[in-house]
Amino acid sequence: MATTGGLSFPDDTTHLDPRAFDRWQARRRWAKAGLIYAVMLAFAIVFIGPILFAAVSSIKTDPLEYPPSLAIPQLQPKNWSASARLGAAGAGDRLFGGFAPGAVVPFEITYFVREGLDVTPPEVVVPRRRPGAGPGAVLAMDFAADYASVGDLTIVRRQPSLADETGAIPGELVTFAFTVAYVGEGPTTERLPLDVTAEVGMTYVDSTITASRLERRGRTASFENAAPGVLGYVFRNYVRVFNEVRTPATRQSLFLVWIGNSFVFAFFRIIITLLLASMAGYALARLRFRGREAIFMLVLFAQMVPLQVLFISNYLVLRDGIVSIDGFKLSTLWGFPDGMLNSLTGLLFVTALNAGAVFIMKQFFESIPREVEEAAMIDGASHWRRYWSVVLPMARPALGALTIITFQGAWNDFFWPFIVLTSPETMKTLPIGLLSFRNIYGGVGDWGLILAGAVLSALPVIVLFVVFQRYFLEGVSFGGGKE
Amino acid sequence: MRYHRQDTVAAYLFLLPFLLLLTIFFGYATIRAVYFSFTDYDLFTTPNWVGLRNYVDLFRDPLFLSALRNSVLFAIVVTTIQTFLALVMASVLNQKVRGIGFFRAAFFMPSVTSSVVITLIFLWMFQRRGLFNYLTHQIQSAAPLILTFLAIVVVVQVAHVAWERSRRLPAGLFDPALLVVSLLAAGVGTWLLAVTGVVGARDLPPVDFIWLQTRATIPPGAPFWLSVPIPLAAIMIQNIFTTVPTFMLMFLAGLQDVPKSHYEAASLDGASPVQQFFQITIPSVRPVTFLVLTLSMIGTLQMFDQVAIFGDAAPLRSMVTLAYFVYNRMFPGAQTPEVGFAAAGAIFLALLTLTVVLIQRRLVRSEAS
Repeated sequence: MATTGGLSFPDDTTHLDPRAFDRWQARRRWAKAGLIYAVMLAFAIVFIGPILFAAVSSIKTDPLEYPPSLAIPQLQPKNWSASARLGAAGAGDRLFGGFAPGAVVPFEITYFVREGLDVTPPEVVVPRRRPGAGPGAVLAMDFAADYASVGDLTIVRRQPSLADETGAIPGELVTFAFTVAYVGEGPTTERLPLDVTAEVGMTYVDSTITASRLERRGRTASFENAAPGVLGYVFRNYVRVFNEVRTPATRQSLFLVWIGNSFVFAFFRIIITLLLASMAGYALARLRFRGREAIFMLVLFAQMVPLQVLFISNYLVLRDGIVSIDGFKLSTLWGFPDGMLNSLTGLLFVTALNAGAVFIMKQFFESIPREVEEAAMIDGASHWRRYWSVVLPMARPALGALTIITFQGAWNDFFWPFIVLTSPETMKTLPIGLLSFRNIYGGVGDWGLILAGAVLSALPVIVLFVVFQRYFLEGVSFGGGKE
Repeated sequence: MRYHRQDTVAAYLFLLPFLLLLTIFFGYATIRAVYFSFTDYDLFTTPNWVGLRNYVDLFRDPLFLSALRNSVLFAIVVTTIQTFLALVMASVLNQKVRGIGFFRAAFFMPSVTSSVVITLIFLWMFQRRGLFNYLTHQIQSAAPLILTFLAIVVVVQVAHVAWERSRRLPAGLFDPALLVVSLLAAGVGTWLLAVTGVVGARDLPPVDFIWLQTRATIPPGAPFWLSVPIPLAAIMIQNIFTTVPTFMLMFLAGLQDVPKSHYEAASLDGASPVQQFFQITIPSVRPVTFLVLTLSMIGTLQMFDQVAIFGDAAPLRSMVTLAYFVYNRMFPGAQTPEVGFAAAGAIFLALLTLTVVLIQRRLVRSEAS
């Protein structure tokens, strides 16, 4: 299929009208292009599919819902406008909602009631429910339950209906309306959870915003937040990622801290890599000196030794603050009397050695003609001047590419942060932090938060890739990707 | 060659920071790992020389043997499958069509995202009620429809080609124009059969395959050295998924250099696409193939991230690799660290990697001569 489709050209096609034969050929070409696009589309779906599916599922209340469905309440415009309305009623915040003093939140819920059954209003409770498991479950927090008062339920609509979900059973749809009011003074709470439980024989059909969960065969409808605001509703898991996991002491959002750490780490790693690699690359490409070949061989060799061989000693070097003499650690000199484990500085030390970057810069400098330096040489400029003011400015494209590749490497780096940054949680970078998420929430099957965190942490690199595709794809033909 | 003293001084000043790092974090680290591997160092007491004992003990340690088995099987299976898939995909896509840039970017997306993100997504899909089991269930249920569809494609295609040939038109068995017609016909035919109730999806219970919390292997009951634990197979699937696009693009770059006339000449001789694949495509990308094989072997032998991220989601023995074994002995949780033992494992891994690379180098060289 890849080529000409096993086509042979017998001589006896001459009996055909040449124009008819041309048309026949053109048809084949069109069909072939169509098939190629179809195959490429299929491959694209296979390779982007999991990421896309995870991104879409990350807004679901339960991403492990079975069978997985793409009919997601969070994607229905009806719920968007309703959640904005409810957020405004709850705390005057159409985006993130909440429950503030003086709020009166109007709510409607519709049940299917079987024929012959008395229509009794369901019971509405504001539960003292904590969000999720893990750190969110131990933080001191304010409960909407302590301030909320549920008003009387009134029937606003009754409408005969033939079917509930299970089949054709006569009955009627009954819509109840009620309000939840904030009584007295108090703090603004982030959420207003609701549990609505009806009598046996009644099943939930619909409500102002779609219920987060149904229990007891549809009798009980649970709402994570009855005053969510539009972002609080659609991106609930994303809001949880930032809000729910905080340090017990300072109540800092851990996810924000991790993002900050990752950016700081990436920034300094880029600076260090650009400087070291361009200096070493310049010397190896432009200067003739004893030991040049040996050093270059060492650079190539350094790329081949597995990290597992190096990390044993490097871990100890960080622990000892480079060297420890009679209990005095050398790293005390730059402010680390207890060694450099669990610090971004230590992480920068062990990741600074980047033989691949040296190799790239050496290759690039070799491609710059020597003549450009000669004018400077005649002026008697020092090697440093020639490097800093003549060659380096010409290396902007290579430095740009190296910046992007280094950012991606630092942002995604797993092994070294995993070894060096183990505690406290506030010291971690994003990938290692996500692993904490997995350990906390994966066990209880709360995947919404994990997926939301994963999608957020993938975003910067994906944006970078979309903008600077060329650099990434050139890297492939140059050295191949790393696992 | 003459060296200028001034150049030499300048060069070493330029190289100073890099050489310092290279000395401490590479040279010293390598030597120390080798030294530790001959001692009983445990992070706290002074190391004692024990000779080759650590290396001998490695082969008595059940966890190491599991790690060795897992790493070797992982490397062989993943390298074979992903190299083959990458080559097949590259040769399908080796066409001059508009918009190939968009698709290349799309294929590359899994390779730019971090291993943590991809592994977490796959961990989620490997849950008992996850996407993998759901899709398996869907395919099993729809098997009659899929088979009907394929059968109609084959029948219509063969009939159509025979008819075109009887009109003395040079139609090949995979003729694209006829294939489009066959696919459409099969779509309509299957739909009709499904609507009239002749064939239909089967009603099967949901698939409950356990990917993670299991000690079962593929194939079940195979000898130790030949059995792939199921969690390891899950990591294999993930690894193939993330690396195939990269290798495919490398093959694609190699294939662009193969002259189109080779294929045209072959098809004049009546070679089928499959024959062309084996007789033209594979030989002409041999250098790229060796590069891909080497990179893939190095990458797979050193697989670490996925095991660490799976963590307690699967039994350690069923997914531990050599790289993770080293980490596990260095930081064994509540037990005393076995640094010497870990170092011996690390050196073994380094030697294994080096051997594989050298063997492949030699193959390339003998190929070239």
